[in-house]
Amino acid sequence: MTAHVVPPASTVETASPAVVVSNLRRVYGNRVVINRLNLRIERGEFVALLGESGCGKTTLLRALAGLDPIQGGRIAAPRRPAVVFQEHRLLPWDSLWRNVSLGLRLPDARERAAAALAEVGLGDRLDDWPRNLSGGQAQRVALARALVQQPELLLLDEPFAALDALTRIRMHDLVRELVANHRPGVLLVTHDVDEAIALADRILVMRDGAIAFEHRKAEDTASIRRAALLAELGVLTPHAAA
Amino acid sequence: MLLLSWLAPAAVVMAWELLARAGWISPQVLPAPSKVISTAIKLATTGSLLNDLGVSLLRVIAGFAIGGSVGFALGILVGFSRVAEAAIDRSVQMIRAIPFLALLPLVIVWLGVGEAEKIFLVALGVTFPIYINTTLGIRQVDPKLIELGRVQELSQLQLIRRIILPGALPSILTGVRYALATAWLALVVAETIGAQSGIGFLAMDAREFLRTDVIVLTIVIYALIGVAADAIARLLERRLLAWHPNYGGAR
Repeated sequence: MTAHVVPPASTVETASPAVVVSNLRRVYGNRVVINRLNLRIERGEFVALLGESGCGKTTLLRALAGLDPIQGGRIAAPRRPAVVFQEHRLLPWDSLWRNVSLGLRLPDARERAAAALAEVGLGDRLDDWPRNLSGGQAQRVALARALVQQPELLLLDEPFAALDALTRIRMHDLVRELVANHRPGVLLVTHDVDEAIALADRILVMRDGAIAFEHRKAEDTASIRRAALLAELGVLTPHAAA
Repeated sequence: MLLLSWLAPAAVVMAWELLARAGWISPQVLPAPSKVISTAIKLATTGSLLNDLGVSLLRVIAGFAIGGSVGFALGILVGFSRVAEAAIDRSVQMIRAIPFLALLPLVIVWLGVGEAEKIFLVALGVTFPIYINTTLGIRQVDPKLIELGRVQELSQLQLIRRIILPGALPSILTGVRYALATAWLALVVAETIGAQSGIGFLAMDAREFLRTDVIVLTIVIYALIGVAADAIARLLERRLLAWHPNYGGAR
């Protein structure tokens, strides 16, 4: 298994990618699920991965997360990525702040968890139980738990699929804002074409275990110009702040 | 509704009292409830009731502590290690197939009739429910949460402490409740067979003199302690499983 080899310093490029995947191969029994897949995600870049069920997109995400062994190629990431799953996977026996700080080995874990929860709009629920949350709120806690690790790569495995339409739109805004503030590389696995278009800088379509199509969002010159002008006038928008 | 639910038992006790006083039930068969209460007061103040109660409780606590520790340790071992499961589980399941009270004659041969024999029998009865529910609880922890632990880079020890043990706790506490019931049963049997002190001794001693009032009293005491043990188990569940929708009750 060659996942998460830290590349020697000399090969780290100045652009500092969040992850570089080369010639990845993943096999279940004698079925090839991922074949010679190459992918590079920069820090601060939001990549959406579309594809039919069974095309291997979740398999790719799990390989990147280090949850499954790979049978060939390499995944080079500076650090272990953070993951938000389709289910919130909160520990029902821990308060929200304990959930968010799970795995944080820092003396100020509670303060950091509090800040992360405040960022997702749940700053007043530190000591509440997960069972008192709605689906959208639980998924926001899961986002806080991922971001408190300050990941360089954030993997989102259909995290909004189980939410109702309005909650999903609110979550899109929140994710956009969080990613703008923290600037991790993001890989969003989704079925939802509109969601991919709404969030991603780059959209990949996966077919038969490889990237079959790539669409880079054209720079929206109008909005950049507007943000730049606003910045000149002292009004900071997320786009300009980044 | 609460009042109604207490109506039937209260009526039965009243009827019993009236029939006993009217002489319809011989005191040799069943003494009146009032007689049992006065006997309780007399034995508690002048007799050895409190001492016997203490002796019995001590036996249960010692047996529960030993059996609980052994069952929990074995359960942890088998829950976490496939090798330990292969080595231990079948033997434990085979011993479990024996009704543990059937071992009493053998235990008496090994340990004689004394404290060791009684504590051993209680421990034996406690070990299996704790063992089974501990392994079961560990097995039933949601694999998705264990996967989350790996994503959050928990160490093996943290994984056990933060995810596996809390996840197994509801099942372990169910085991504790079963174990309390079997511990009590084991004590009654052990004390009835041969004892120089304890609640069971009190009952057997009273039998010699046809003191049915004392016998009924010991039965009532056994019942009350059983109720108390169950209440303690429920309290533990409410405290430790406050997060759990089935136990936490009020938020």
